[in-house]
Amino acid sequence: MSRRSFKASLTIYWWLLLFFLYLPLAVVVLFSFNSINSAATFESFSLRWYRELFSDSQVLSALSNSLILAISSSVIALLFGSLIGYGLYRHRHRKLGWLIILIYLPIVMPDIVFGIADMTFFVRLNSLTGWLSPGLDTMVLSHVTFEIPFVALIVYSRFVGLDATLFDAAKDLYASPLKRTLHFIIPAIKPALISAFFLSFTLSIDDFVISFFTAGPQSSTLPIYIWGAVKKGITPEINAVGALMIGAVIVAAVISLLVTHRRPRQDS
Amino acid sequence: MSQSSFTISQRRLQLRETLHLLWTTAPGALWIIIFLVLPSLYLVSMAFMTNGTYGQPGMPLTLDSFRQLAGFGFLGWSPGNIYTLLRSLWQTLVATGLVVILSYPLAYYITTCRVSLRPIMLLAVVLPSWTNQVIRAFGWMNLLAPETPLSNFAQWMGWIPPHLGLFPSNFAVTIGLVYNFLPFMILPLYSAFEKLDVHLVEAARDLYASPVKAFWTAVFPQTLPGLLAGVVLVAVPAFGMYVVPELLGGGRSTMIGNLVATQFTGASNWPYGAAGALLMLVATLVGIFLLRRLGKRVGGGEEVVI
Amino acid sequence: MTQTLATERTASPTTSKQEQELATGAPAREASSITLEGVKKFFNRHDIALDGVDLTIRPGEFFTLLGPSGCGKTTLLRILAGLDTANSGVVKIGGKDVTEIPSHKRSINTVFQSYALFPHLNVEDNIAFGLKMQGVAKAERDRRVRDMAEFIQLSPLLGRRIEQLSGGQRQRIALARALVCEPDVLLLDEPLSALDAGLRGQLQVELQRIQRRLGMTFVFVTHDQQEAMVMSDRIAVLNAGKIQQLSTPREIFERPTNTFVARFMGHTNLFDITSRQANKLETPLGILEVETQTQGNKVLIRPETIEIGPDAAQYANQFTALVKEHFYRGSFIEYRLQIGEVSLVALSSNQGQKLYNVGEQVLISVCPEDIVTVASED
Repeated sequence: MSRRSFKASLTIYWWLLLFFLYLPLAVVVLFSFNSINSAATFESFSLRWYRELFSDSQVLSALSNSLILAISSSVIALLFGSLIGYGLYRHRHRKLGWLIILIYLPIVMPDIVFGIADMTFFVRLNSLTGWLSPGLDTMVLSHVTFEIPFVALIVYSRFVGLDATLFDAAKDLYASPLKRTLHFIIPAIKPALISAFFLSFTLSIDDFVISFFTAGPQSSTLPIYIWGAVKKGITPEINAVGALMIGAVIVAAVISLLVTHRRPRQDS
Repeated sequence: MSQSSFTISQRRLQLRETLHLLWTTAPGALWIIIFLVLPSLYLVSMAFMTNGTYGQPGMPLTLDSFRQLAGFGFLGWSPGNIYTLLRSLWQTLVATGLVVILSYPLAYYITTCRVSLRPIMLLAVVLPSWTNQVIRAFGWMNLLAPETPLSNFAQWMGWIPPHLGLFPSNFAVTIGLVYNFLPFMILPLYSAFEKLDVHLVEAARDLYASPVKAFWTAVFPQTLPGLLAGVVLVAVPAFGMYVVPELLGGGRSTMIGNLVATQFTGASNWPYGAAGALLMLVATLVGIFLLRRLGKRVGGGEEVVI
Repeated sequence: MTQTLATERTASPTTSKQEQELATGAPAREASSITLEGVKKFFNRHDIALDGVDLTIRPGEFFTLLGPSGCGKTTLLRILAGLDTANSGVVKIGGKDVTEIPSHKRSINTVFQSYALFPHLNVEDNIAFGLKMQGVAKAERDRRVRDMAEFIQLSPLLGRRIEQLSGGQRQRIALARALVCEPDVLLLDEPLSALDAGLRGQLQVELQRIQRRLGMTFVFVTHDQQEAMVMSDRIAVLNAGKIQQLSTPREIFERPTNTFVARFMGHTNLFDITSRQANKLETPLGILEVETQTQGNKVLIRPETIEIGPDAAQYANQFTALVKEHFYRGSFIEYRLQIGEVSLVALSSNQGQKLYNVGEQVLISVCPEDIVTVASED
């Protein structure tokens, strides 16, 4: 096979794989506009399911739960995670093996075990002390736990990308510890803080398993709502919720692409 | 200045550094300890407890849960759980293998494209995995359901009996797993290919007649660290997957995660579920440990980060 | 007026006038002296960076710390800046003990080897950073930044991002950022080492001019002995955490006190002294007549002091040498000579005289006053 035809077949393969990757999403979006309740035949274009969606109080409360959960957990995780990221960087010459293992633990732990462990823990704690009945509180606590490592790693790698003498330069130029933080450290890692926040937000919005086990009766999020609806039977309304969530992710991705392209070579 | 005074100032400096390490890392570390390590330890300990009347674990300590997990019940031994475990391993193996085969050419292809295009291509690959996994599984349910073009085609080929769909089935679970984890293999493989010494590959293509041999002698060893990182990222979460087998397997093609979850949702036998969770944890840690060892053996130990 | 890029040093009448204004306008601070007493720094038992350094740097002096990498010169600079603390010893600036004062409270600024310009700030904000941190009001800050940019010929670059600049431009901005704070002392940590040779030579001259004009105390760190000699009023040669010699460039080059300094300054003709009498030293080369005797068990004959050919007959210490190799170096010729068992390097300045061929026997001589005795490295 010549090099040219090799490359051409790879190009075909690339488009086939993209087709494979986007097909299920496209199906969800397409059938969200179906005028009839069928997953097999598309009859005609209609916004019927979107209308039903926006008059469904369950969906709206699930949406608001998802947003409250994602925003509050991301803010907390950003605070604790970036502190860890900074600590890891400042003390990178020490042996911090235990800390690294601790940070990787939430990443490698199977979701299902994570969720069940937290559920049993919260239930037990609640029955012993009366604190923390399952609901948005417990979900925020669990979400922060799995978001902290991602924030810490993103912030850490941004610090590593900075010239270490910048810290000396800031000290040398009369910046007190507080001014150093405000005028140098935070602005210098701002891109990492922004992307860490958005990653946390996305992880939280997308999470199903851990949310499912730590949620209470009143704290359904969108993924939990979808799960329940799917388990009950396929309804085109789910297509509409799904299509909206897919749309939100694509918009977020395009924004992030534009942001990174507008400021090239951050680390040079 | 005397000898003792500078050792004191040196100690003070060290103390200050240690305090700094503590206040920056302790809050987050404690958070993880309280809301993950402690709950996990509680769950593990639960595996050795007795199942109470309302599914609540209690004393005395016993190994009943593990016996139950091995298949011993009121009606004697049944192979159901062993099948579930084997199915989990098999699905993980098949899905990981397929993901590797599908990813290699794609990761290579991206590195042959213009540098300015690559971030967009990578984003295109990763984007679907940013959408909710329940929605993605739901998409496949729609695609593989009875009466859909794909199912009709499979019937026409005689792969499945008439009036049935490709979903629910083991096959649908495999598709779902491959779909879910493909980006996790493409990314590390891509960065391995990016670092690849192209001249070495070209030299190999000149030296060896067949491209297959060139691949095995020049490309494969250089991308092995990336491959191992990808295997960790794919196989470990695939083994513990809950959503995909639950939705696409339709109750018959369950994996270990479903077996565990059922004990906490429907069946309410926490110690039994905890024993299953312990098994999953051990399998995960052993898997990561083995792959890391392998990673260090092949020399790219630093690159297999997980 | 055409916008010439700042890297071109065009001495137009306008700029030199501005420079003069900036220089003659009463300096904000008096230049300061620096005193180090018994400064020791070690990272662990086996890693001793500074092994008891005592030195005094005079106000307004261009002072250089010279030595190979790992000699402790950068550690010393960091201790002056307050970025590292000494394990023992006292640091005084302008007579005031600053040993325990942290970096941000010391009136000292540093030009870092990597320039350390803040990537999130543009050129103007980088230069203004130190003033802003000191709480200088915005109007005053802007005026000083603009004046400094003009002084250092960077005005057209003020709005640029750091990654858009060349190495030479970054170097100047790092300098401007430090100078604009009008510190008592300016520290420079190998600031020219990342630049190519041409630009480096140009900036050496420029740095020296700036220092003379501002009358500020400069402490310069380098491993390049040529650079040190060109720029400095005085040089401290460091090795293994100790000062080997502290003196003027000429003194250090011509009268090194020990073999380390001699070798580091580029001298190679060092011979053991086997016995000594009043004005005579016995060496493997033979008996050498010397002017004055100093301490030391080695004798140094600098290559350029060796006279070759007919002129050699005028001086004492005559030897017949065999030419083993020669290298034509343009302004001078390097000869590798052999006298008996001993090898010798001689540099003969090129005045169009006859070149000696390999294998030729030549007469050489060394004037007694050019012979120096040095101590062995301990």
